[in-house]
Amino acid sequence: MERNAQHAFDAEEVMAYLDGELEARRATELAAHLVSCSECQEVAQGFRVLSERTLSFEVERPPAEMSETVLAALDSRETSRKEVSNSSNRRESWRWRPLIARPYLWAFASLAIVALIFFASIPNLFRAREAAELASRRASGYKSWLDKAGTAVTRSGSNVYQSSTETSETGTVAPESASPAPPVAGDELKAPETVGPMIAQTASLSIVATNYDEASAAIERLAAAHGGYVEKLTAKAQTGSARGLSAALRIPAKQLDGFLADLRKLGHVEEESRENEEVSAQYVDLQARLKSARATEQRLIELLGTRTGKLSEVLDAERELARIRGEIESMQGQNAILVHRVTYATVQVELGEEYRERLGTTSKGTKIWNALVEGLGNLEDGAVAALIFLLAYGPSILFWFAVLMLPAWLIWRRPRRPAQT
Amino acid sequence: MNTDEQLVLEFQQGSRGAFAELFERYREPVYGFFRRRLENPGRAEELAQECFLALLQNVKRYEPRASFRSYLYGIAIHLVSAERRKAGHEIAENEKLDNRATEENAGESRDAGIWVRHALKHLRKDEREILMLREYEQLSYEEIAGLMRLPVNTVRSRLFRARMALKNQLMPVKD
Repeated sequence: MERNAQHAFDAEEVMAYLDGELEARRATELAAHLVSCSECQEVAQGFRVLSERTLSFEVERPPAEMSETVLAALDSRETSRKEVSNSSNRRESWRWRPLIARPYLWAFASLAIVALIFFASIPNLFRAREAAELASRRASGYKSWLDKAGTAVTRSGSNVYQSSTETSETGTVAPESASPAPPVAGDELKAPETVGPMIAQTASLSIVATNYDEASAAIERLAAAHGGYVEKLTAKAQTGSARGLSAALRIPAKQLDGFLADLRKLGHVEEESRENEEVSAQYVDLQARLKSARATEQRLIELLGTRTGKLSEVLDAERELARIRGEIESMQGQNAILVHRVTYATVQVELGEEYRERLGTTSKGTKIWNALVEGLGNLEDGAVAALIFLLAYGPSILFWFAVLMLPAWLIWRRPRRPAQT
Repeated sequence: MNTDEQLVLEFQQGSRGAFAELFERYREPVYGFFRRRLENPGRAEELAQECFLALLQNVKRYEPRASFRSYLYGIAIHLVSAERRKAGHEIAENEKLDNRATEENAGESRDAGIWVRHALKHLRKDEREILMLREYEQLSYEEIAGLMRLPVNTVRSRLFRARMALKNQLMPVKD
């Protein structure tokens, strides 16, 4: 039955001819050819037999109920408009069924939702991680602080403890440091040596200690030994990195050199700086203003005591006296701070742990285990974040997905309607 | 006698009789269409009904550009493919069972119809559909091409391949 080179007609054309689908001219030629060609006659006969056999696949007559249902639908459509709307509902369901049955639509929908959740939860994931890190840093930082430098907190309750997230202040005295226990006093605070320049000293020291625990405890002990105190202490102990301690200490100016020498013994000094600020001019100026204010105050008091005058004048004088008094107090406060800065040098200490050694001693197994634990932690965070996101935004996503997919589906569907053919 | 297309136009203008006439003409062919393509006679009946109901509801959209036959079978093809998609797995299972039953019975009954049904299942899906539309629904190549969205030449060559394949399937019975 394959195309035969000797033949002007192939089997397919014979088939088309028998189906009445061959173009007229060709059909006429083939008809003429068939009369004489036994081979083509055989081919044609083969097709006829095949068709007959195919048609032997018969089916039973349709059940009578089918006619009744259809004709009933026809009648109800004719008589009542309501039924039409009913059947149009029916049509809707008929049109919707394929949508639900299309697996790739579902696959696409799930993929879209997953992608959306993924992209939307990335910031959440990071947030969750950050929060977890912060919490662990806080917890461990506080714990190590209690463990190592611990008792000091209870000893000097007025000292400020802060978590590592806050930046430690350096240099000059913070206003609240004027209030703590140590040696602020007296009405007439004067510089210890009134001769010579007044200098506010600031030192900054960065130390890496081999024995961190010992060193951190020693800092406070040394400060106390030299007559100083801890103004602020921040301990950090992040998992996976070196522990660190940052302290702001106030040490009597005279003791500063000795204290720094002791500090240097705690470990390897990585960085050291000293700054001397000349505050004599400020001090002298302040003293002069204070003196003149006091004189004015004295004169006003005398004036009020000896002179009599109008009530308004007396009131004016008293008001003036109150103002001067306020000024004097403010200047006395500034004076106290200035003197304190000179008397007590500020020492900023950064104590670090020599971490490389520790890293070296960590076995590979431990590292892998740590990574695994961290990985699982991240997975859990991610899953929780995704779940929370899903619960929070899932309904909206589904709603918008439905709203957006419906027109797309209608557009996609339209050209496939059989009605158009 | 009125053509199908005339009857549809009459029905569009409100003639109940025209639809009844069309239904009478196509009741058996349409039922046969579904019956030959689906294993479950009950389902075939339901879908044949649904096909006519869809025709009732969409008849206003029919335009006499295409033949009424191809319009009607277009609906039918749509219903069958929707049905197959909906219950693809189910049908596959049923067909397996049916195959076994067919093979068991074939030896005794020698019913040619069963052999043909069996042989049709071994054809490629697209070729089988073309062959069935040609043989049972008696559609022209052009009508099939319109329904299947294929060029007429492709329809002809696929029909030829389908017939050759069917012949090969039926050969052992023939000899």
